[in-house]
Amino acid sequence: MSNKGARGRLPARFSAFDLMRRRRSWPQAWRERDLKSTYDVVLIGGGLHGLATAYYLATNHGITDVAVIEKSYIGGGGSGRNTAIVRSNYLTPEGVRFYDRSVKLYEELAVDLNFNVMFEQRGHMTLAHNDSSLRTMRWRAEVNKLEGVDSSVITPSEIKQLAPYIDVSDHSRYPILGALWHPPGGIIRHDAVVWGYARAADAAGAHIHQNTEVTGIDVEQEKVTGVTTSRGKISAPIVVNCTAGWSSLVAALAGVKLPIVTRPLQAAVTEPVQSFLDPVIVSGSLHVYVSQTARGELVFGASVDPFGSYSTRGSLDFIEGLAGHVLELMPSLGRMRVLRQWAGLCDMTPDYAPIIGPTHVGGFYVDVGWGTYGFKAGPAAGESLAQMIATNSIPELIAPFGVERFAAGTLMGEKGAASVGH
Amino acid sequence: MTARLPERPGEVIDRSSSLPFRWNGGDYTGMAGDTIVSALAASGVRVLSRSFKYRRPRGVMTADFNDPNCLFQVGDEPNVRAAHRLLEPGMDTSSQTSWPSLRFDAKAATQALSPFLGPGFYYKTFMRPRFLWPVYQRVLRTFAAGGKPSPQPGHSSPDKRYAHPDVLVAGGGPAGMMAAISAAERGARVMLVDEQHETGGYLRWSDSDGRLALADLRTRLAAADVEVLTDSVVFGRYDHNWVGVMQRSHPQGERLIKARAGVLVVAPGLIERPLAFEGNDLPGVVLSGAARRLLNLYAVRPGTRAVVLSANAEGAAAAADLADAGVEIAAFVDARAGETVVRAKGRTGVRSVELTGGKTVEADLLVTATGWTAPTALLNMAGVVPTFDPESSRFVPGEMPDDVMATGGIVGDGSVADLLSHAAAVGQEAARRSGHKAVHKAAAIPAAAALAPPSKEPVELPTLEPEPHPPLFIGSTSGFIDFSEDVTTKDITAAADEGYRSLELAKRYTTATMGPTQGKLEVINAGVAHAIATGRAIAGMGTTTWRPPYAPVSLGALAGRMLEPVRHSPLQPYHERVGAQPIVAGQWIRPNHYGDPAAEVTAVRSSVGVIDVSPLGKIELRGRDVPKLLELVYTNKWSKLAVGSVRYGIMCAEDGVVMDDGVTARFAEDRYMMTTTSSGAAGVYDWLEEWLATAHPDWDVRLTAMTDAYASMNVAGPESRALLERLVEGIELDAESFPHMHVRTGTVAGVADCFLWRLGFTGELSFEVHVPAGYGLHVWEALLEQGADLGAVPFGLEAQRIMRLEKGHFIVGQDTDGLTRAHSTGLSTLINSDKPDFSGKQELEWSEADSGTMLVALQPEDPAVVPPEASQVLSGNTLVGRITSSRMSPTLGRSICLAQLTQDHAAPGTVVTVHLPDRTRVRARVMEHHAHFDPEGSRLRG
Amino acid sequence: MLLIDCPYCGPRNGSEFAWQGVPSPRPDPASTTPLEWRRYLYEEDNLAGWVEERWKHRSGCRAYLIIERHTATNEIRAVRLLGGTPL
Ligand SMILES: Cc1cc2nc3c(=O)[nH]c(=O)nc-3n(C[C@H](O)[C@H](O)[C@H](O)COP(=O)(O)OP(=O)(O)OC[C@H]3O[C@@H](n4cnc5c(N)ncnc54)[C@H](O)[C@@H]3O)c2cc1C
Ligand SMILES: [Zn+2]
Repeated sequence: MSNKGARGRLPARFSAFDLMRRRRSWPQAWRERDLKSTYDVVLIGGGLHGLATAYYLATNHGITDVAVIEKSYIGGGGSGRNTAIVRSNYLTPEGVRFYDRSVKLYEELAVDLNFNVMFEQRGHMTLAHNDSSLRTMRWRAEVNKLEGVDSSVITPSEIKQLAPYIDVSDHSRYPILGALWHPPGGIIRHDAVVWGYARAADAAGAHIHQNTEVTGIDVEQEKVTGVTTSRGKISAPIVVNCTAGWSSLVAALAGVKLPIVTRPLQAAVTEPVQSFLDPVIVSGSLHVYVSQTARGELVFGASVDPFGSYSTRGSLDFIEGLAGHVLELMPSLGRMRVLRQWAGLCDMTPDYAPIIGPTHVGGFYVDVGWGTYGFKAGPAAGESLAQMIATNSIPELIAPFGVERFAAGTLMGEKGAASVGH
Repeated sequence: MTARLPERPGEVIDRSSSLPFRWNGGDYTGMAGDTIVSALAASGVRVLSRSFKYRRPRGVMTADFNDPNCLFQVGDEPNVRAAHRLLEPGMDTSSQTSWPSLRFDAKAATQALSPFLGPGFYYKTFMRPRFLWPVYQRVLRTFAAGGKPSPQPGHSSPDKRYAHPDVLVAGGGPAGMMAAISAAERGARVMLVDEQHETGGYLRWSDSDGRLALADLRTRLAAADVEVLTDSVVFGRYDHNWVGVMQRSHPQGERLIKARAGVLVVAPGLIERPLAFEGNDLPGVVLSGAARRLLNLYAVRPGTRAVVLSANAEGAAAAADLADAGVEIAAFVDARAGETVVRAKGRTGVRSVELTGGKTVEADLLVTATGWTAPTALLNMAGVVPTFDPESSRFVPGEMPDDVMATGGIVGDGSVADLLSHAAAVGQEAARRSGHKAVHKAAAIPAAAALAPPSKEPVELPTLEPEPHPPLFIGSTSGFIDFSEDVTTKDITAAADEGYRSLELAKRYTTATMGPTQGKLEVINAGVAHAIATGRAIAGMGTTTWRPPYAPVSLGALAGRMLEPVRHSPLQPYHERVGAQPIVAGQWIRPNHYGDPAAEVTAVRSSVGVIDVSPLGKIELRGRDVPKLLELVYTNKWSKLAVGSVRYGIMCAEDGVVMDDGVTARFAEDRYMMTTTSSGAAGVYDWLEEWLATAHPDWDVRLTAMTDAYASMNVAGPESRALLERLVEGIELDAESFPHMHVRTGTVAGVADCFLWRLGFTGELSFEVHVPAGYGLHVWEALLEQGADLGAVPFGLEAQRIMRLEKGHFIVGQDTDGLTRAHSTGLSTLINSDKPDFSGKQELEWSEADSGTMLVALQPEDPAVVPPEASQVLSGNTLVGRITSSRMSPTLGRSICLAQLTQDHAAPGTVVTVHLPDRTRVRARVMEHHAHFDPEGSRLRG
Repeated sequence: MLLIDCPYCGPRNGSEFAWQGVPSPRPDPASTTPLEWRRYLYEEDNLAGWVEERWKHRSGCRAYLIIERHTATNEIRAVRLLGGTPL
């Protein structure tokens, strides 16, 4: 890491020892600040991406005059609603490399942030129910291996060993022929990641403004000059759009049109039961994935809703389909109960890959198009974006993800690995 | 020690019954009508469970579905609401948190731990040393609350039901009953749903006036035409009044009812709210409603000496009921007079209660009546924003959409008469708004003459307002706010102090409201504690998000029966009879082989074989303008296709990516038959319709899906003509009369209206025979029978895949992917850029020079090595492509492949390295032709 | 589950219909440029508010419909046949 980095003094250090010893309450994890009239960098969106970028700008590059502008509370968007799957078993070499960097950062994150983000690398298993998906699994495994990522194709009996509740017996409709097995994958406490970055970014000097909405972006002669917010104007030479599901609306404020459609993605949890499922299980053909949290709840997700919408109310069809498909995989769970369902907004691109980098408006960057898979990407995206802002050049890791690929007609090929198993 | 009382007037138990059951390994008995928990309470059991985090002893608290301390394992069913579930003889039940044992007094241990287990404690520790994290993880996971899921499959749920009520009433208390009655009396179809086992709501456990009123309502309800579902719950209101109802009382198990309600009337009453003070979770601290339910429904005495803390009429009523049942009232604490409870003391149950002023009263029961939470969940789901009313200390509904109404306690308080008159008006208005077809109904039902017509004008609703109620939420000592998550007042305060200053953040940080009670008991107290901690006005705490389901619903009921169809060809009976090995291909189940695919290949190559290709998509196109449509969707030229001819074509999406391929035949001037890949059939059909509907509505083209209309079989091999000659009438089969890529119609094995075309995937002389589906099996069997002496065999998908690979034919979706543009298939001759327009033309033109990868045939240098499909291809250390198809060729006796390679490695003769999954490598050479076998195609044309 | 009032079939469950988004006009194939074409292929307004979308009654009469829907509330205020063909 760069020695210019301004790793802030945390308000208090966390450790088991401090936990036992402390008698007073803990200091504030982040502070409420006055809105300044100018900042060097304005990050719109207080989700994981905005906060991680603020953190790496400060710690890796010493850029601390940074504002994160969040219209509600931090993590109130996709970052607080996702199903927290972290993995790097993508299909394209560019994708695998990028997500692998993120997994590496996640592995160190608890120590790095002095905040336990509870990254549980219990393995990630993608089931294949027909020979064509088995072929795709092998494809991913082979690309992963070449990139140094631990993935392999396993047999039904190995599946049964890793996840005994899965029914691998003969099924006519969805037989289980094998799976892509990815040991470093797993789940994480999504809120903890958001809070950990917010706490460390605040300590390093960044200002986190919650309940502050960006309502305008000021552009003069094709260059950004600042933003208008619900709490006043800010001038800034660099403005980054990290607003995921809302990114089209925010980009439009700067006159930028994106290849994005916002679609709700739903999820659900069951009541807790005693732990019986270690790995994350994904089935593309059945449009479903399942994991069990440390608290014992099963967390379910599926593919995006069948039509674009900004509504996060969720649907009955979703939990019905989900339940049917889960029971197809684990038929003994019929008596477990769904406790809560919800939805978040996903910024879907045509090629299931993100859009990171400059736009035609100078100083206005985007870090969007994270669709259903952007949580795992947060650390690497924040790190790269910070580097891009600090060095004014595009890091190799994110070079394939520029918006110009759409005008050039050279899309990424990530759909096969990203459409269900986020 | 029994706590069962002599007979009570409103009791629901059957004293003549005796139901034995087990709990935590011991034997107990209860009565029919008991819940599991009332039976245990009657047997004198006080400690029912241990809490999630601090493992504190817990007992009955609400004595209904929401009781956070009464989640039991029943048989192999986890998390059963034991204060709601009716007792059945022989039930095997147990509490779920077994450590430490229920009897063991672990207070000392847990208190020592409590500073350690504060909010978000796990975020603050276990970071170092890193290598121990997996161990910590495992330990943390053993703390998971909840029961054990069954490992045994086999719980089927009854089929789902659809309902279309004009008025759906959620909540069968007096207001809900009255709304249902009055809507039905106006001719609406009404469904009334209540969570309890009987209608009546709070009247069930109230006084004699209440019971009288209830009896009257039940009579009227029975006379009205209302469908009543008890032990059922309206768990979600979704877009456009799509309402989820879970009928738990269905005899075959939970059943999902999906209702499209005209108007949803929300009448769930109120939920009693606990007060947070030290010891408020001790066994023996119960809500007033719980005390009255235990006393009046189950004739169970909840204690012997009680302190009653009362802020409303319910508290007084509970005290009266207790006294009536012989419980000594040690103190009646009137909150409206400013008195309150400071803390409850005891180890495994209440022993004494400390009151304001420091006075301590010995008691084994503390009953609290400190206010209400309005369960606005269904309203929130409908987009209503309830507001907090500080006067009455609860949320009141906000502005409602037209198709949702509310009545009863959720709206306001009053006498039974007040509630009923409001509800009656709401029911009338709901009937009016639902715009039901009362006229039709009136004609159908003889008794309908008695029905009043729905009013034309909006019905005026009498006012119903909440009564003032003292603001009792958080006591002077820290107590539990969330009982299922073990979250205290202190925890909420600590979270706010730590910077979690929005309620949403504080809830997530402390996990308050996240547990099985879903916020029903804790949401207000959490909001108030947080408002106090952040120095904000309680009134401004804002509404909370209630997400569906309102009550937990089982996966089995949500799933219902798996209704995903499997498709079989009309020839399936044959395949089954001979024991063909099946393979799943999309929705289709097809024969993969009949024993030995390599032998099948050899048979086809040397004599003749027949394959079932019925899943092939078939679309008939008729009309003057069909050629225009074909020109638009295929990349090649179609206008000159002669009658009787067949042509192959590739279809691209508008980005130039290959989406499907197949042949189209011209039967007559204006009649064509198109085939698609089996999995692409529905998509292509949509695609054709879309072009017609959106771009060319003026064209004369009509489409008919024909896939299921024909059984299709490909007869392939040098003897195919000889075989067909024995069966075909009316078609000359010789090469001159019926050349390759032509189509003829005629009779096969006596079946008229078949069509045949000459083409095939195998590279052999072949005829594809399409037979009206009902006769498919007959023709198939005739072919095999008549061909027996020629050596005719059935062959499956695997043999076909081998042969097509020998011939280098690609499969869309296997040898191409989501980015493969048409040029990359190597079939550039099939892209006609002279046409003014076709789907994909623009992109194909712009990318012609560089379309990324190229599909090539590859042969490993070691002929015995078959690189698995998806093996990666390297040149030096750079990735240059992948194997898309590979097989051992029985015909050539060597391994053969198709591969996608970057263009600079696609030239014939190039040698590349294939990286096998087992980490070995094999060198392979790019071939000149896609076809490994018979590249000239002489066999095919014979 | 949306309720969509198909001009042919009457009110039907939303699951019978396929969403096709807000249609963008296809550029003239003879004169289009790569930039214009790819805007047509990929760019979206993605508005939060009232939009006019194309849907298909796929598991019904298969008619193409123009539906006015509010993308934040999913409220539907008008359904008509594509091209406005009178019934
Ligand atoms: C149900 C669900 C499951 C998912 N599962 C996974 C998973 O398992 N793994 C994975 O990797 N990814 C998953 N994702 C995707 C992941 O959640 C997102 O890609 C990721 O959280 C995006 O983070 P972000 O910081 O870019 O955006 P967000 O967290 O959405 O943050 C954007 C923020 O911008 C704010 N904002 C919007 N407009 C404005 C404005 N005008 N002014 C100020 N602020 C504004 C919003 O309030 C919001 O807080 C899932 C998503 C969902 C919905
Ligand atoms: Zn229709």
